[in-house]
Amino acid sequence: MRKILIADDRAPSRELIREILEISGYEVVEACDGGEALEKARELTPDLILLDIEMPTLGGFDVIRQLRTDPRFAVTPIVALTASAMQGDREKALQAGFTGYISKPVRLAALRAEVARLLQ
Amino acid sequence: MTYRGVSQKLTTLVDYAHMASAEKGAASSGTDNLGSEETRPRPATTSAISPSLSEQRFEDLLEAAPDGIIEVDQDGNIQLANAAVERMFGYTRAELLNRPVDLLVPQASRGMHHTHRAAYWSHPVTRPMGSGLELLAERKDGKSIPVEISLSPTHYKDGFRVTAIIRDISARRAADQKLREIQELHTRQLATANEQLEARNREVERANRLKSEFLASMSHELRTPLHTIIGFAELLGEQLEGPLNSKQQRFVEHIHRDSLHLLELINDILDLSKIEAGHLEIHPTAFEFSMALGEVLATVRHPALAKSISLESVCENGLNIEADRVRIKEVLYNLLSNAVKFTPEHGAIRVKVGAAAGHVEISVDDSGIGIPAEEQASIFDAFHQVGATTRGVREGTGLGLAITKRLVEQHGGKISVESAPGRGSKFTVTLPLRNAAVKVKDFEER
Repeated sequence: MRKILIADDRAPSRELIREILEISGYEVVEACDGGEALEKARELTPDLILLDIEMPTLGGFDVIRQLRTDPRFAVTPIVALTASAMQGDREKALQAGFTGYISKPVRLAALRAEVARLLQ
Repeated sequence: MTYRGVSQKLTTLVDYAHMASAEKGAASSGTDNLGSEETRPRPATTSAISPSLSEQRFEDLLEAAPDGIIEVDQDGNIQLANAAVERMFGYTRAELLNRPVDLLVPQASRGMHHTHRAAYWSHPVTRPMGSGLELLAERKDGKSIPVEISLSPTHYKDGFRVTAIIRDISARRAADQKLREIQELHTRQLATANEQLEARNREVERANRLKSEFLASMSHELRTPLHTIIGFAELLGEQLEGPLNSKQQRFVEHIHRDSLHLLELINDILDLSKIEAGHLEIHPTAFEFSMALGEVLATVRHPALAKSISLESVCENGLNIEADRVRIKEVLYNLLSNAVKFTPEHGAIRVKVGAAAGHVEISVDDSGIGIPAEEQASIFDAFHQVGATTRGVREGTGLGLAITKRLVEQHGGKISVESAPGRGSKFTVTLPLRNAAVKVKDFEER
């Protein structure tokens, strides 16, 4: 079973993503901040990571910077899942090494399609 | 004696004068003007040598000159001074003649003046004195006056003399000074105005930045809860956790639709503020207009069909336009979805697209409820909504036409409306084609 790590500081948001993805048959692991995301990523080496950008202590940009220097995560699909939707946010995320950018609110069909595409 | 040098110069002048009058006489036997002047009273200046007519004339000239004229011998003594010198320096001529020229040189410059004078004697040519320097002369009362002096040597049997023409430039200096003061004042005023303008610009920039930051965080804060509201509503709607009864399904649909509406409002407000801040970028590509129109028609066909509204479109085939494809589709979508909203059942909507004179004209014509004349000007204002739609409620964000108008204008186009209550509305958009000649296939998006 493909393993997906979801990092988001809001519990309802984590639960939503978990529900959406578990129905599609993925194993979902949750992290409630950047630090835990790094820990779980290193411990479980998930197949895909959905990272919120704005998290306390360690934000999404800090997490991806550390992950991308680790050879184990050089090519892992890491997607920014964020409520920031201003012009230039997507470009900033892609420049920082994110594989994709999904803005909140997510639409179920779009999220499932993007995850399936990245895990092909 | 005073005018000894002058007389010598005059010898030549007199010769010329005689030659001239001789020529004149031969030609027209004219009166001898010089002769008539002989009866004039002599000026106070006298010369040691008995003056001829021409000498008298020369003296008149010398006395009438506005510039001070002095002649200085090789020992540095003044040998000639005219009336202007007296006025300029406050000395009488008797006080100047045969006195050292240093009398007229300010104390501080006298030492150098000797050296300069010696240098001049070794190379006597006609030239301005102290070229590029600000020369000062000293009056009898000790006051300094700014002067310009030109020097010219005269050769005599007993040596050189130098004629100095002295111009008092106090008035010009004063005028220059005044001009400089005015210029400085203006420069200072300009600098102050610039500073104020810069301060205001900084304030405007700061306000703009704060506004952008506010919009960004507002957007973020509103999207975060909407994310879970929309998401869970969709999850519930999928009924994977068990079936919903029809009432529950309807409730979930209401939540879902209204939360999507809220999202649309947020997006529209952001769009509008981006457009108004000039931050919305237009990315023009070349595309075939009928293709973009077809895609938009496909999205409104279903709601139109639901109201049995006929949807007709006439679009020139192969009509290419260079514009922001996504934004043009947004314009078309806004106009068409408005038409559907405000057209009653069994009505009709006609879209016509044609090109003329470098422009494409798009008209969306509906048989809807129409817009009263007094409201037609304000429908393009943000948050303005024309009464209720055919469903008897206010629909949409009230931002659609405001955004549409701004998008059209950002493309260099125009939008207008013709309408009458009960007789439908016709919106007409005119857009420049720009590089319509570009091959479609090379540019068609994806």
